[in-house]
Amino acid sequence: MLLLIQYTLIFASVLALVALGGCFAEHSGVINLGLEGIMVIGALGGALMMRYAPDGIGAFPLIMLVIIAAIVFGVFYSSLLGVACINFKANQTIVGTALNMLGTAAATVIVKAINTAANPDDVSSTIQYVDEKKSFLVNIGGFEFNWFMLIAALGVVAAYVILYKTKFGLRLMACGEHPQAADSVGINVYKMRWAGVLISGLFGGLGGICYILSGVSEWKFENGVAGFGFLALAVMIFGQWKPTRIAMAALIFGFFRALSNVFFGFPFLVALNIPGSIYNMMPYVICLIVLAFTSKKSRAPKAEGIPYDKGQR
Amino acid sequence: MTKKILRNEAFQSLFASLICIVLGVLIGYIVLLFINPTGAGEAIMEVLKNFLHYSKTNLQIKNFGNTLVKTAPLLMCSLSILFAYKVGLFNIGAAGQYCVGICASIYCAVALGLGWLPCLIIAAVCGALYGAIVGLLKSYCNVNEVISGIMLNWIALYTTNMILNTVKESTSPYTFHLNTHGEQAMLPGLGMDKIFAGNQYVTLALPLAVLTAVLIYVVLEKTKFGYELKATGYNKNAAKYCGMAEKRNIIVTLMISGAIAALGASFMYLTDYEQWSCTSSAVPAMGFNGIAAAFLGGLNPIGTIFSSYFIQHITNGGAYVDKTVYCSQISDLISAIIIYLCGFVFFIKYTMNNILDKQEEKQALKAKEAAETQEGGDK
Amino acid sequence: MENQYAIEMLHITKKFPGIIANDDVTIQLKKGEIHALLGENGAGKSTLMSVLFGLYQAEEGIIKKDGKEVQIKDPNDANALGIGMVHQHFKLVECFTVLDNIIMGVEPNKFGFLQKKEAREKVLELSEKYGLHIDPDAYIEDITVGMQQRTEILKMLYRENEILIFDEPTAVLTPQEIEELMQIMKNLAKEGKSILFISHKLNEIKAVADRCSVLRKGKYIGTVDTKDTTIEELSAMMVGHNVNLHVQKEESTPGEVILDIENMTVASKMHKNNAVKNVSLKVHRGEVVCIAGIDGNGQTEFVYGLTGLEPLVNGKITLCGEDITKAPIRKRLLSGMSHIPEDRHKHGLVLDYPLDYNCVLQRYFEPEFTDKFGFLRKANIRKYAEKLIEQYDVRSGQGPITMARSMSGGNQQKAIVAREIDKNPELLIAVQPTRGLDVGAIEYIHKQIVAQRDAGKAVLLVSLELEEVMDVSDRILVMYEGEIVGELNPKTTTEDELGLYMAGAKRDEVKA
Repeated sequence: MLLLIQYTLIFASVLALVALGGCFAEHSGVINLGLEGIMVIGALGGALMMRYAPDGIGAFPLIMLVIIAAIVFGVFYSSLLGVACINFKANQTIVGTALNMLGTAAATVIVKAINTAANPDDVSSTIQYVDEKKSFLVNIGGFEFNWFMLIAALGVVAAYVILYKTKFGLRLMACGEHPQAADSVGINVYKMRWAGVLISGLFGGLGGICYILSGVSEWKFENGVAGFGFLALAVMIFGQWKPTRIAMAALIFGFFRALSNVFFGFPFLVALNIPGSIYNMMPYVICLIVLAFTSKKSRAPKAEGIPYDKGQR
Repeated sequence: MTKKILRNEAFQSLFASLICIVLGVLIGYIVLLFINPTGAGEAIMEVLKNFLHYSKTNLQIKNFGNTLVKTAPLLMCSLSILFAYKVGLFNIGAAGQYCVGICASIYCAVALGLGWLPCLIIAAVCGALYGAIVGLLKSYCNVNEVISGIMLNWIALYTTNMILNTVKESTSPYTFHLNTHGEQAMLPGLGMDKIFAGNQYVTLALPLAVLTAVLIYVVLEKTKFGYELKATGYNKNAAKYCGMAEKRNIIVTLMISGAIAALGASFMYLTDYEQWSCTSSAVPAMGFNGIAAAFLGGLNPIGTIFSSYFIQHITNGGAYVDKTVYCSQISDLISAIIIYLCGFVFFIKYTMNNILDKQEEKQALKAKEAAETQEGGDK
Repeated sequence: MENQYAIEMLHITKKFPGIIANDDVTIQLKKGEIHALLGENGAGKSTLMSVLFGLYQAEEGIIKKDGKEVQIKDPNDANALGIGMVHQHFKLVECFTVLDNIIMGVEPNKFGFLQKKEAREKVLELSEKYGLHIDPDAYIEDITVGMQQRTEILKMLYRENEILIFDEPTAVLTPQEIEELMQIMKNLAKEGKSILFISHKLNEIKAVADRCSVLRKGKYIGTVDTKDTTIEELSAMMVGHNVNLHVQKEESTPGEVILDIENMTVASKMHKNNAVKNVSLKVHRGEVVCIAGIDGNGQTEFVYGLTGLEPLVNGKITLCGEDITKAPIRKRLLSGMSHIPEDRHKHGLVLDYPLDYNCVLQRYFEPEFTDKFGFLRKANIRKYAEKLIEQYDVRSGQGPITMARSMSGGNQQKAIVAREIDKNPELLIAVQPTRGLDVGAIEYIHKQIVAQRDAGKAVLLVSLELEEVMDVSDRILVMYEGEIVGELNPKTTTEDELGLYMAGAKRDEVKA
């Protein structure tokens, strides 16, 4: 039971972080379908930092370094989306999809190159971080608290405050709803959209490193992040683009994802004799059902997905 | 005259695609340089050479055949994506529909012992039904087809793993070979194996895939159905205004799209070239590479034939790089970069037209000035 | 000598690909005056104001503020110079409150955190001072158009702008709201604000402006004192020649009922209430019935319900004796309905199709254009398009193969009118058929509508333009908040009376 809660919370943290990323991008008017790729690259940044960080620098500096690395990688990678979609008005769906494919391919190539350079016989795309992972965990009576749970909670609060209580948030949302209006009062729509995309890179990168630290202590980069970027988008839609509701939605989805990890720990579930594949499918099936019921009356930012062209105002 | 060619839509698409390819390969080369500068040039050449890696003509032809065997499913996947895109839908679920096609083909061939034609038909029907789910969700529940497509991809993957688990050897994760457990379902070779130096995997699939491309071209350009589909893709509201059954068209389109992707899977797995691993943790990349091929082909069914071959050519070529230094995924990297660059195609065309406009304006101005000075001279 | 001008725009030239929107235009705005800028649609008024507001950069010419040359590169520069603008299409974020919209761009903040309290006080103070009543906490999507406009005005006042631009501010208002706006503008001028008022409505200019500058086809025609100039003179300056805007038409001879609507109710997409409530009306053969009303009173939804673009909540529609209440769109169109849609880009055309494909948008499935195997007969489509182009004088760069996108608005509209009329319908529904067109095209389309009537068709016209309503129709039904509130005879009624009905100030129990 404790394990189920633990997994629910950690998966919810991943989903909430990434969904917040999507939320910032969409409030600025850019649909970020490349979150999956951003997660992979963020995870790569964090994993490389864990690999190369000097031994014995202590838990706190290590955590900070890993987080910074994930953020830097995520932000940098999201700028590819920004350039294409904001400055060159490229189709956001194509570019997002390309980023997802590019993320996995690039991470695989990089990790393999590093592994092969270190040991010519090692052609795997795996990075191990058994010891480093321990720094992120605090054992509280059998419950493994992961610092990312706290970070996700802080992220939700920060997102709420930024969107609804600050000048920046007001301007950001104006750009996603009615960019012409924002422009007419002297707000630079391009800059705000860039901000939205880069923030989504920040959250996406964080979510990525959080994801690969959630269960195992090594990661094979060929595998990507198993559609979590898209699950997060579903969480965002279910959460109606609002940080607090996103947190709730993330918990629900996280629960079903956790179930597939730990169902064998529940005798009554095992007794049902359902194949593991069914549990694996569960989050995706639930997601589809939820979307089917919530998409009809969704209140997406009105101008999302439409490139802003100064000439057309 | 050259102006006219430069203005030509088809020429511009071709030109833009070539730019994407050149840049994609160039960036791939730079990445290789970073990994290890000494062998980078050689490695990128291996990727581009693919089967020319071998010096014997016999082996070259045989391996050319292997590339073609995998081009057929890729072409089908890219046609699937292209067809849906004409109606304004981004069918990223092609990967899942492809997966369903695998599941249906192998199950029908091995467990049910059906012949190749029923196998193809059942696979197409399953793919169509799977595509219909996306269509129904889109038209009746307003669910974004990209997100539902991705979810269905994962569902298809786990379902396939579960179902094909019943038709595999107990010792390995792979499903049975068709030549031992379902020979009746193998696609006829039509004697093409002889042309390709005894490559028994070259089959009916290849001409069928090309035929599908031509068929789709005809449907889109010459028929009433194509007229409706494209009108819906360009302007959904106008299509509704003039009484086209918009929802039905969306669903039918995705069904056709799904059927094409699933057939692509049959074209691969009914040749026995590959078997399914029941411990797969991701859907086959074929569906995603189809996106690259569709856009690289300028969203033209005929152009797609060539772009599919190119993508498969470099993907197969990736196998020949020196694995002690580089990895074969460099090809995936190049394909991904090419799709990313395809996002800029609109911009490239726009810039081309802009430059042409400016040149014309300048020429017009010059002509005017020349005429004026002449007039002045006459006086 | 002290400079008497607040703003001067001297010799402004602004080009767009293919057209010169402003060609050497000069206007000078005196301090504290209301200066009208008059011109037809497409005369270049909005472009000129966009240059002043920094949305566009002019290729030639200079702008002076208080006699000093200034550069206005973006709206921030304009704002810094005290220039504010109420745009024709309001620039308001619908899901924000009035207050948020007002402070957006100049938010009072501490370390980036919003300080809405002081902003609210300032807004309330301003609204008191100028008589602009608003609720700062209401959401834009919930308030009336008039209130939205007041929000826009407060936006300028909050920024302490001295030069206020009003771009066609009366287009969406009722006559009574217009009256109110005129008063507000006069108050503002009295307080020392200088106002530029863009319009093509002569009476309004005559009523409120001190001076008036006229543009025609991008060129500057002249500036006059409005009190010394008659409406006819202004009109002549605007269009270049004296035009007779009245449509020549014979007395109508209504025949049998073609369209019969009973108790039609249509839901709204914007709010929870129904947009169309219990509307009943009949249209006879050989008459033009006009639905008049201010924009947003349910006309759009009414047409959607009638043509099948939206389902009905309740009611019954009969066309030529056939119940089409639940019929799909295609069925309605085949039963003799033609529809010139309100928005030609949204519904009327597939912009990325060539003109010939657009000409058969309603008929592509007929045997003439599709053979029995489902293949298009492209030669026939081309021939048909050529016939329409010839007959209805549709002009385009490359004839039938021109992309619809590259055609001018007037010719796009002509193509739609041609297509819909050539179908030989029993009922022609024309929704704002002349929106955004020049005088020549308007005249042409009005003639076509009357010709349809004379040919014994039933015509249902939906229009926001009072002049069009009075000129073209045989019977006027006024729609207010989704209900028919009056039936008027254009021969006996006046624009003032019509205005009272449109504003909801007057209503009859109508059984049409």
